Amino acid sequence: MEHMEHPRLGSLRVAPSPLEGAHLAAQQSWFRGRSRMASSAALGLAAVGILCAAWPWSAGQFVLHLAILTCINIVIVNGLSLIDRCGQLSFGHSAPVALGAYGAVLFSSAWGLGTISAAALALIVAGGVACLLGWVILRLRGVYFVLVTFAFAELVRLVLLDAVSVTGGANGIAAIPPLSIGGFAFDTRERFYGLALVLAVASVGFMVWLFSRPLGRAMTAVAANPALAESTGLNVLRLQIVAYMGGSALGALGGVLTARYIGFVSPESFNTSTSVAFITMLVIGGRKSLYGPLLGALVLTPLPELFRGAVQTQHIFYGAALILILRFLPGGIASILSAKIPPETAK
Amino acid sequence: MDWNLLLGQATVNGLIVGLLYLLMAVGFTLVFGVMRMVNFAHGEFYMLGGFVAYALVVKLAVPFLLAVALSFVITTVIGSLLEWLILKPLRKDELNGMIVTIGLALILQNLALMMFGADPVSLPSIAVGTSTLLGVAVANSRLYVVAFAIVVLALLYVFLRHSRMGRGLRAVVEDSETASIQGVRARFYYPLGFGIGVGLAAVGGALMAPLFSVSPFMGQTPLLKAFMVVILGGLGSIPGAAIAGLCLGLLESYSSLFLSSSTADMLIFVLVIVGMLAFPRGLIGRGEA
Repeated sequence: MEHMEHPRLGSLRVAPSPLEGAHLAAQQSWFRGRSRMASSAALGLAAVGILCAAWPWSAGQFVLHLAILTCINIVIVNGLSLIDRCGQLSFGHSAPVALGAYGAVLFSSAWGLGTISAAALALIVAGGVACLLGWVILRLRGVYFVLVTFAFAELVRLVLLDAVSVTGGANGIAAIPPLSIGGFAFDTRERFYGLALVLAVASVGFMVWLFSRPLGRAMTAVAANPALAESTGLNVLRLQIVAYMGGSALGALGGVLTARYIGFVSPESFNTSTSVAFITMLVIGGRKSLYGPLLGALVLTPLPELFRGAVQTQHIFYGAALILILRFLPGGIASILSAKIPPETAK
Repeated sequence: MDWNLLLGQATVNGLIVGLLYLLMAVGFTLVFGVMRMVNFAHGEFYMLGGFVAYALVVKLAVPFLLAVALSFVITTVIGSLLEWLILKPLRKDELNGMIVTIGLALILQNLALMMFGADPVSLPSIAVGTSTLLGVAVANSRLYVVAFAIVVLALLYVFLRHSRMGRGLRAVVEDSETASIQGVRARFYYPLGFGIGVGLAAVGGALMAPLFSVSPFMGQTPLLKAFMVVILGGLGSIPGAAIAGLCLGLLESYSSLFLSSSTADMLIFVLVIVGMLAFPRGLIGRGEA
């Protein structure tokens, strides 16, 4: 992928578009301001982060359970964020998650694949579906794209419900064996948390890495103004397909983890409200920040425990939070934490 | 098997369902035209209409027709207020406005769950007996629903075409800035357009309440269908929504003769995708996205 983008990188460097220039300038001034206090603050932050991440191991099964779910959601919402950062909001992010979850289970049960190769195959399938579908629907802009992804997710759910002989229909698939690598089974919460934590951190790291590279910059440019990006020589459709595939693969990875951790999948785990929950996490965390998905998942995953036995109250809270955040804090939680928001992102 | 009878039944069912989609989609597309905002809470207003009709007919023994009219009025007022209170800062902001309506939908649906519970309730049938139309026996209650829906649409047509308010609304849909220059008070038409749009959904919900049941989740399927319809008909295009709505209803009904309903749903989704590729601005209307 990198060699593909190199010629373009050259042309961008020679004559950066005004938009790219503004981004670079903002980034540079941000780095300069940061570098003074950077080292000590970053060390402190890293230490706190590591402590927080290690805490669930010593805090009992219940906290571990929540921590695992949070990690899985971080991976999934990062996928959604990747698509969003290339300018398209998917309202059907439950679809790749469902493909990942069912794929990982069915490939290993039907064809006798190992859990890891089945998971890898599921990711490839989810990415492939995203590629084909995206090639068609990413030509649509804004609202049309949202509507079609929504309809597609419903379609996936219908297929899962309908294909009783393969997917078990509404009953779903139970007793899914845990993930195992070379005989080491992730069959306890302690072990699985380690895996989920690594993948969650890796997914955040991947996003940060990607969006500091020319490919990620190109995606940002596409999101900011597709016409301008196209006129500077970026292939908008191809970039969006890459982002859609990547985002769907991350979603599918989350699905694999969910299926292997919970040990049960059913079509109802992937309905509209799941997609809404992912969007809620993204928006509340902060759509414009690379750390938004992390923050959103951290805050919202444990939240249902506050409302235990009152699912309706929880959903009403979600709804109210969405409205209030968009009204008064469009940058999400991430914008509180970062004192300096470049003005063009604080739209 | 008597094919004439089956086809006749399918046509009537298709017309009923198509009219329901039509009411949903016309309101949906009207809201989009005015606000440039996809209203994800549209299905919840459909549900609201159903529950208002249920409360009026079953608890207060109001005549059905009056209940339908009242559900339109009540929902329009509620919708206008919500627009004014919540959506006002986000007009014309496609993505954020849409996310806010998702929030609104969550709140409305769960409020309904808390107030009415998850079990579906039903309204008494509004008419007894059957009539024979072109050799097909049709339940009278269904005929009434079709007639009422057509009356509602005719009223809407007259309103949009010939009243001062309707013309103003259409001007705002066309181009709100130019409309403002011409002295149309856009700030008055935003809540009105949203209110009338969701009011139409409520009429759909109220009219269908005696045929189907009323539950907090009843709005989800019609919302999905409304999406399909406006994609086919072109977002923002009212004639497009009308034609596509009827076509979708009939198509579903005919295909259910041969296929299971989920297979039919899948085929229709594929059809929508193909249609969108071939006609990106809508099959029928002049869509604007």
